[in-house]
Amino acid sequence: MNKKQTIKAMLKEKILLLDGALGTKVMILDGAMGTELQKKGMPVGVCPELWCLEHPEAVSDIHTAYKKAGADVVYTATFGGNRIKLAEYGLTNVREMNKKLARLAKKAVGKDTLVAGDISSTGLFVDPFGPLAFEEAVDIYKEQVQGLIEGGVDLFVIETMIDIQETRAALLAVKETAPYFTLVTMTYEKEGRTLNGTDPLTALITLQSLGADAVGCNCSTGPEDMVAIIAAIKPYAKVPLVVKPNAGMPRLEGNQTIFDMDARSFASFGPKLAAAGANIIGGCCGTTPEFIRRLKRSLSGIKPSAVERKSISAVSSAWGHKIFEKENPLTIVGERLNPTGKKRLQQELLDGSMTLVRQMAREQEQSGAELLDVNVGVPGIDEVRKIEDIIRVLATVSKLPLVVDSSKIETIEAALRFYPGRALINSISGEQEKVKKLLPLAAKYGAMFILLPLTDGEVPETAARRIEIVKDVFKKAHRYGFTKEDIVADGLVMTVASNSQAAVETIKTIQWYTDVFNCRSIVGLSNVSFGMPEREWMNAAFFSMTQTAGLTMAIANPGSEKLIHMKVAGDVLLGKDKNATTYIAHFSDLPPEPKPMKGPSEKPPVKVSAAEIKITTSEDSVHQAVIEGNRDRIVEILKERLAAGEEASHIVDSMMIPAIIHVGGLFEKKIYYLPQLIASAEAMKKGLAYLEPMLKTTKVTKKVKGSVLMATVKGDIHDIGKNIVVLLLQNQGYRVIDLGKDVKPESIIEKSKELRPDVVGLSALMTTTMVNMKDVIGLAAKEGLKLKFMVGGAVVTDAYARSIGAAYAQDGVSAVKTVEKLIKSA
Amino acid sequence: MKKIVTFDPIVIPLPEKMIYRRLGYKTGVTQVTPAQTTEIQKYVEDAQSIIHLMGTALHLPIAERSAVDIRLENGVTFHSRKLSTFLSKSTEVLIMAATAGNDIMEAIRKDTTGSNVTRGVVLDATASEMVDAALDWIVAYFNQLLRRENRTVTQSRFSAGYGDFPLTDQVVIHKILNLEKIGVSITESCMLIPEKSVTAIAGIIG
Repeated sequence: MNKKQTIKAMLKEKILLLDGALGTKVMILDGAMGTELQKKGMPVGVCPELWCLEHPEAVSDIHTAYKKAGADVVYTATFGGNRIKLAEYGLTNVREMNKKLARLAKKAVGKDTLVAGDISSTGLFVDPFGPLAFEEAVDIYKEQVQGLIEGGVDLFVIETMIDIQETRAALLAVKETAPYFTLVTMTYEKEGRTLNGTDPLTALITLQSLGADAVGCNCSTGPEDMVAIIAAIKPYAKVPLVVKPNAGMPRLEGNQTIFDMDARSFASFGPKLAAAGANIIGGCCGTTPEFIRRLKRSLSGIKPSAVERKSISAVSSAWGHKIFEKENPLTIVGERLNPTGKKRLQQELLDGSMTLVRQMAREQEQSGAELLDVNVGVPGIDEVRKIEDIIRVLATVSKLPLVVDSSKIETIEAALRFYPGRALINSISGEQEKVKKLLPLAAKYGAMFILLPLTDGEVPETAARRIEIVKDVFKKAHRYGFTKEDIVADGLVMTVASNSQAAVETIKTIQWYTDVFNCRSIVGLSNVSFGMPEREWMNAAFFSMTQTAGLTMAIANPGSEKLIHMKVAGDVLLGKDKNATTYIAHFSDLPPEPKPMKGPSEKPPVKVSAAEIKITTSEDSVHQAVIEGNRDRIVEILKERLAAGEEASHIVDSMMIPAIIHVGGLFEKKIYYLPQLIASAEAMKKGLAYLEPMLKTTKVTKKVKGSVLMATVKGDIHDIGKNIVVLLLQNQGYRVIDLGKDVKPESIIEKSKELRPDVVGLSALMTTTMVNMKDVIGLAAKEGLKLKFMVGGAVVTDAYARSIGAAYAQDGVSAVKTVEKLIKSA
Repeated sequence: MKKIVTFDPIVIPLPEKMIYRRLGYKTGVTQVTPAQTTEIQKYVEDAQSIIHLMGTALHLPIAERSAVDIRLENGVTFHSRKLSTFLSKSTEVLIMAATAGNDIMEAIRKDTTGSNVTRGVVLDATASEMVDAALDWIVAYFNQLLRRENRTVTQSRFSAGYGDFPLTDQVVIHKILNLEKIGVSITESCMLIPEKSVTAIAGIIG
């Protein structure tokens, strides 16, 4: 029996916890260590681990107090006992310190209470989210783990983690050192994600698959928020859930941080946490032995809820996950991040640039892909290094989980180790070497895998033979602990060009996966039509058939509109899109709710149909194009109107100018906001540019209302506001001379002398550069120039404008009005 | 000696509400068609994928203070009555910076001087709000570390250029945080380049 089995047995005997169905009581963890150490006199700013070693009696007292309060497990005082943290205090004897602190805890609580070796963050984010190399992080944690094992800990806890990659490194460090029972808890902010953007369910999927024996949350919030977290993740947990809340939310009282919950209130949440699904409960910051005593009492006689699953069909990235429930719509796996047949992507991968990779990932996500297949197989490339590079990029630009696609075992191994989520391997076949080497790797890193039904030297043509291979590989996988939830069986698509029964056999295979074997399925669609003309139709027909046979996911190009249209239609017909919500949203003008890519959703802006907007009564298409900011269509519309015999000057005067004036009014009333104003201005500009030659040939000259010289003043490089004013003034018929940004007073005055503008417009963003406006106006006076000045910018006020003898414009629309007034008053 | 902590990248949820607010969106008043919503949302997402948020931070004990001065452990003194008042309850300061990187500035420049000013203004607003949110993130990060010591970072922040805290101190902050390391330079007029870069000071209480 190894150490982990021993611990499991001890725990089971003690509280029958680990088999949730048999669990008879909730396991109790200790409370805060930091708070208690401060009460014992630990000053702020010292190394807590060193202080604990120098004051062993104080630490022992705390451990003993928690034991007496009823804790089944106490944590060692080694929260910051890693190489990086200790080095901040000039300490290097990591192993020895951890060993001593573990022994101290063991001695304090004796045999009846378990001691968990406490591990937490190094304070650095780990690659790809920060500067600490992944293997270095694993090594740092292994050093601490070794010390704690030497000190005699019974189990490990990895706690207060905010970076999923650092958490993975710590968990691997434990697993690769010795088979110890390991609890992992992350810290979620009020809005429900870690500081690094991981949500609790994503963390659960990643960590339980990587081998955490219990997963949960601690710190940051009080028990109330954690009830919601635990309830939300319980249905997906295949391990016990841990919760260690703070004593409510911290608040400042004078110079002191106070937690707003007393022990009685805290303990009242014990039964609620257990009911939500927590199996292991303790306290974090602000809690004391009294909190734990009351918590224990509140949980007396309460049976923990069972662990509901033995496995889960789900993959994850650092910021998101995808669960493959059978009733869910078909999943599209974006296929484009594969250099086969893509010269640009091949070259980019060889050059080490990742621009196209970012773009393809973004486009596929926007087109509806829910997973991204990633392959770096280019001749002459270092695949291991490249797969890490591409994961490094994708992990920080996309929330989509990855499908690691390679024929090379070492590439898959590197990807699984580094990928900050639970990946899907593409693929493990019945080939001996693949089975022998990839199954243990998939098991170690907890990955799902695509089971490809072929063996050494055989690509089976019939469904019957494929089924045999799938059964055989699955049997071997089962020995490593895999269940049918962990595999996605490939339908093995062959072209009908060489075998007329190829598609039929694939459909039969998928049907068997769905109806008999009861596992998820996948196909690479387009192979079916290889060598055939008009492939699109054949692919489409085949796709529909596979959907009907129960296909779970398809590797395809989500940029293909037809494919996506068919998918959403098929989902409705197969009862997988309840109320046809996605279908209706897809085909109507109403897009689905905008989704944030990296974080929790905030309320999106109100969306209303065009008909609801009381912005115009005009039926005129030109007018409407300006109102709607339709830059793509305006020239086409103008062409139609001109072809119908309308004069360019009439179109400008009667349709476009009234429209842009109306848009200005909408903006002032806040019915329009800035992007709408600018889109209309751009549509107007584009339309005017198209009509300009016609206005000249019909000898109608567009009347210039006046001239304005614009500049962002010296020292200031922020010019977006000034650029907007330029655009709006030009649209209103003003001639604008734009001198750009960071313009010296002398240059402005020199140009003014030369061009004699009706108005000089000055812009500044900062209080420090705003004063340069005064210099320009002063210099103009000194030079005897009688110029009219208009000023604006984020910090400029009407009062300041008046104080320097200028008119004030609050925004682009008011700038147009101000210029008009200034010219009229001349 | 405290070390500068570098964050590269900083990963934060998209502050959508703040971005729309910055663009002048008023809930219940502003009316947007589905096509406009889709377009603008796409630009926000474009911005998010182009922006590369990075940051640095350093916390230092306050060595000495008066009504008008704050002298830090590293010998730097800031002369500002308002800053001194702001830090009156603090034992340490947290000096921090964040930047959206060069790529987004290039994209904004290209759009606002070219054919898609609409996209440019959305990119600009998104970058501004994300950089600001990155500072919130840095504060949250330090709060996480300090919570166990029963200490906390002040919710509000103070920046060079506010009130009587001279913008010229931006040069000092730039140097203290070694902002060149995350690609942020400073002009003679104390502007940070890339423009979507910010610095701030918060207090640590407790």
